[in-house]
Amino acid sequence: MLILTRRPGESLYLGDNIKLKVLSVQGKQIKLGLELPEEMTVYREEVYLRIKEQNRQALECTDQDLLQAATLWQRKESE
Amino acid sequence: MAAQGKRVIRTRLGEREIAEDSIVRFPHGLIGFEDKREFVLLQVNDSSPFLLLQSLEDPGLGLLVADPMAFIEDFGVRLDGAEKKILGITGDEELAVLTTVSIPRNEPEKTTLNLSGPIVINTAARVGIQSPQTDSSYPPHVYLAGGR
Repeated sequence: MLILTRRPGESLYLGDNIKLKVLSVQGKQIKLGLELPEEMTVYREEVYLRIKEQNRQALECTDQDLLQAATLWQRKESE
Repeated sequence: MAAQGKRVIRTRLGEREIAEDSIVRFPHGLIGFEDKREFVLLQVNDSSPFLLLQSLEDPGLGLLVADPMAFIEDFGVRLDGAEKKILGITGDEELAVLTTVSIPRNEPEKTTLNLSGPIVINTAARVGIQSPQTDSSYPPHVYLAGGR
């Protein structure tokens, strides 16, 4: 891992088109500003990992449990 | 031999014939499956509210999804600028929102809707994205039984 020290107001460039600026440090919180290409998405790690786990679970159900769940919840035909 | 505009694909539920124009492109894949780009939505069966979001590239990759509004009163999704751009949203496009569904092994009564990473599809353009909801007012997941 590359380790760098920056002060508030100082920035880093990642490659040609990502700028990461340290805006402020207050206690344990660091506020970061990012300038990114328009179509680049950014995830907070804990959210990314939670969704990854949910996706894995959505993939793992057995056919038998799926059929049983499907009978527990039927599509509403009348609405 | 498949009819014109159709093709037969292998899925988690066996072989299915799909229409070419039902394929949804995910330019960023799904979270954890970033390299899979083409998916199709399949009915699990006629009366089930569950759908299978099936990868065309990996027959084993079929995620269980559902329309959350079939189970909970209200669910909104917030998209950021990059996500809108990827989806090709310019104004009042029709968007389909789906959430993944987890069925714990041998405990289908504990099925949950996962609200942290809704899947949003621009149905006209047939482009989709999984959108992490970072500042959501909704819980990460809800039990189906707690819904309707």
